[in-house]
Amino acid sequence: MAESATGEKLNYLNHERGLWSWLTTIDHKRIGLMYLFAMTIFFFVAGILALCMRLELFHPGPDIMTAETYNVFFTLHGTIMIFLFIVPGIPATMGNFLIPLMIGAKDVAFPRLNLLSYYLYLIGAVLALVALVKPVGPEFFSNFLTWLGLTGPVDTGWTFYAPYSLESGTAVVWMTFAAFILGFSSILTGLNFIVTIHKLRAPGMTWFRLPVFIWASYATAIIQTLATPVVGISLLLIILERVMGIGIFNPKLGGDPVLFEHFFWFYSHPVVYIMVLPAFGIVGEIIPVFSRKPLFGYKMVCYASLAIAFVGFFIWAHHMFVAGISDKSAIYFSIATFGVAIPTAIKVFNWVSTMYKGSIRLETPMLYAMSFVFIFLIAGTTGVYLATLATDVFYHDTYFVVAHFHYTIQGGAVIGLIAALHFWYPKITGKMYNDKVARSAWFLVFVGFNLTFLPQFVLGMQGMPRRYFDYLPMFEPMHQLSTIGAFINGAGYSLALLNLFYCAFFGKERAPSNPFESHSLEWQTQSPPIHENFEETPVVTDWPYSYGVPVEGGGHH
Amino acid sequence: MFNYLPEQASEFAYKVDRVNQFITNTSVFFIVLICGAMLYFAFRYRKRPGETDETPRIEGNNYLEVVWTAVPAIISIYVMYIGIVTFREMRTVEPDALEVNVTAQKWKWDFEYQNGKKTTAEATIPVDKPVKFILASRDVIHSFFVPAMRVKMDAVPGMYTYVTFKPIKTGTYNIFCTEYCGTGHSAMLAKLRVVSEAEFERWLNDNSEELLKAQMSPAERGENLYNKSGCVACHSLDGSRRVGPSFLKLFGKKEALADGSEVTADENYIKESILNPNAKVVKGFPPNQMPAFEGQLTDDDISALIAFIKAQDGTRKAEEKKESKPQAEEKKVDLASLSPAERGKLLFQEMGCNACHSLDGSRLVGPSFKGLFGRNGKLTDGSSYTADEKYIKHSILEPTSQVVEGYPPAMPTFKGRLNDSQINDLIEFIKTLK
Repeated sequence: MAESATGEKLNYLNHERGLWSWLTTIDHKRIGLMYLFAMTIFFFVAGILALCMRLELFHPGPDIMTAETYNVFFTLHGTIMIFLFIVPGIPATMGNFLIPLMIGAKDVAFPRLNLLSYYLYLIGAVLALVALVKPVGPEFFSNFLTWLGLTGPVDTGWTFYAPYSLESGTAVVWMTFAAFILGFSSILTGLNFIVTIHKLRAPGMTWFRLPVFIWASYATAIIQTLATPVVGISLLLIILERVMGIGIFNPKLGGDPVLFEHFFWFYSHPVVYIMVLPAFGIVGEIIPVFSRKPLFGYKMVCYASLAIAFVGFFIWAHHMFVAGISDKSAIYFSIATFGVAIPTAIKVFNWVSTMYKGSIRLETPMLYAMSFVFIFLIAGTTGVYLATLATDVFYHDTYFVVAHFHYTIQGGAVIGLIAALHFWYPKITGKMYNDKVARSAWFLVFVGFNLTFLPQFVLGMQGMPRRYFDYLPMFEPMHQLSTIGAFINGAGYSLALLNLFYCAFFGKERAPSNPFESHSLEWQTQSPPIHENFEETPVVTDWPYSYGVPVEGGGHH
Repeated sequence: MFNYLPEQASEFAYKVDRVNQFITNTSVFFIVLICGAMLYFAFRYRKRPGETDETPRIEGNNYLEVVWTAVPAIISIYVMYIGIVTFREMRTVEPDALEVNVTAQKWKWDFEYQNGKKTTAEATIPVDKPVKFILASRDVIHSFFVPAMRVKMDAVPGMYTYVTFKPIKTGTYNIFCTEYCGTGHSAMLAKLRVVSEAEFERWLNDNSEELLKAQMSPAERGENLYNKSGCVACHSLDGSRRVGPSFLKLFGKKEALADGSEVTADENYIKESILNPNAKVVKGFPPNQMPAFEGQLTDDDISALIAFIKAQDGTRKAEEKKESKPQAEEKKVDLASLSPAERGKLLFQEMGCNACHSLDGSRLVGPSFKGLFGRNGKLTDGSSYTADEKYIKHSILEPTSQVVEGYPPAMPTFKGRLNDSQINDLIEFIKTLK
């Protein structure tokens, strides 16, 4: 085995050194880590904004900020969390790191394009940061900034609804342009993954020997490639409308504001599956390993991913039941939305039955995976209230939606990502995390998360509208519970990530190449993997879930 | 189980809640079932020290998978169906529905009735009669949400939308704006008053406010407009900063503008700022916040507002207020046709009770009048009280002799300012606030 100058085993982390080797790398593993690093920063920035909002909402009336500041905060919280954190999310981090390893490839199909995606992401992020600038300084300078359109952080909400976004005096053009650029990053990543999964599978790695994470990533990549251009175009139209007044969305110029909502949700509904499908894949990897059982109904889980991605394209207007669309189309979109509930339900049943007669080890990744199942059940069932017409009329744009959304995205995608970071941590870093700290952090995250968002379901039922800076006294108790929960949740995430960072740099315990005894391909190479992933191209003879002893009539694989 | 929905005040509310309850019950059943199984497996099949990993390689079971695809599918179809049936009922307009035009604007709700009566921030409708609110917007998208009626619909600029329902209970209900519309979004509230049919007819054809207006001085009419047109949301009278500049000592002041020039706040500047607010924005205040009132306020209205702003010169003292009170009493005589409670309501506003006593249960300086009548509680001296006629009358005449626990002894006496019949009118008004 090759060794570096200092006598360490060579791996992707030490085969080249220095900042430049990272910034110019085309290694999918390093690019994945660079995404992870940037995204973690944005996650904490947007998280702190959320805590400030929760503090403001502790009592009714203005406490620590003005209504304008609050509106900017919730817009930035949403925009940063969505466009800079959770949309690149699991695909850009875990997808980049794992897809070539899991299918036995050296890298993604287009490594340079992959680096370009990363830099597009950074450019988009920088544009989004520039959009925060307020006209300050000497008069000529502040006039210059105003001329550039840098008139202060956006206050439109992450949804950029017209005509508000056309009239807002803030830097909407900059922020939408940032999202437009970020869209390109997402499209290119999706294309890259589709080609990689089609063309670079190792010999013997047939479609039905692929880990479910690959299936989920494949479905995700299709959505990224097909849906993102639509939001790109609609954001571009917002820019053209603001700069040139072309009158697509502005009713004063004969435009239609509801059209913007259609365009926007045509992307932004499927995008929730970009966020959460990969997390489904992660849970599908973790539960079999820690139960020592094959993933129950593997093929159904694979097909369910594709079904969710497909149906996800035809249900966007369930965000618009009370937006002024016709009652007939509302009925159609309600029916179609129920179509997505079924493949989602199938997955939950499959995960839980995998544990039946297993040999279950409650390691930290498994704790996160089981929390995910619980949280996602609540996310899914509360989605039913919103898909049902009679009840959605009441719940639309109340805190019920806020809670449902966070159960899906934070409880789903973020907890999925944290589970993945713990599970593949030995592979990524070659070290082990501190288990006691990781378990305590899990506990704080689980308790804090539920304490934050369960009261928000109650608030929604009581009729509390979302995006409210101030509220009637009757809503105060639930807001207070939610604020307390948010701080516990924040402490949990901080502890979990501090633990991971600390052990990566200062941890003593070296990880073996396969500490959790997984059968999947990425664990069959050393930890951390070498630059080329495998010493020689692996030949695959079995699927990755052959745990346990074969039994009569045990399956249909 | 897990039902925190507000009271059911419309005819179809209980049907919505029934759908809601079915979803809740089914969801709780499945969450408990699935999580129960998960926790049971995690415990029952936990890896014990020294045990091997010999698990049965069960890869799936076609029968089970058919079951757990079919069962959620059947439940989904049922929920979807009852949701659609109820929704269609919620959207069906009765032919005899009372039509009320609602116009949303940053950040207020305007209501107009078929006979031309207009109100802002408060709609009144008769009980047990279907109503159709026809929604429109003057600027951005807003959304009209009445939780107790289980209705919501966006008010979209450039098109008409509607909500329809039949109220089945009298009372006062919250109206919220539920589509984000900027700075004042969370303050864009209104009240929906459901009253008996007779009271509604009287209210609808009551032009006493117009009569009253005819006898008011321009500044008084301006004050009325200041409150009703929503100026109050953004412009204070005490010099404190809200979204826009305070009206205190505004008139005649030299203001620096955002573009660096300077302007004197005279009649013409104020008129321009009302009609076309973005023309000359005072430095330090955000542009594009104030809606244009072009076409909404008449020239008379604007003159009245200017007179009101002129009056905010910092010299308005309590004596001046007192001076105007006997006048108000004279006007009352013209209003003998009103019911006692309605006269009480006018007094509530004219005497300034509204500064310290809310009508919606929220806490201001003094206790809210909502649900006050008949209330029991403790006084600061430890004794208990019941808010009956006698107690309220005594509280108006000698307020500090019996202060409710937790409130400051801040109220002035109204001895000599209100006569017995006026006090009775106020009590009648308070009685209506259940």
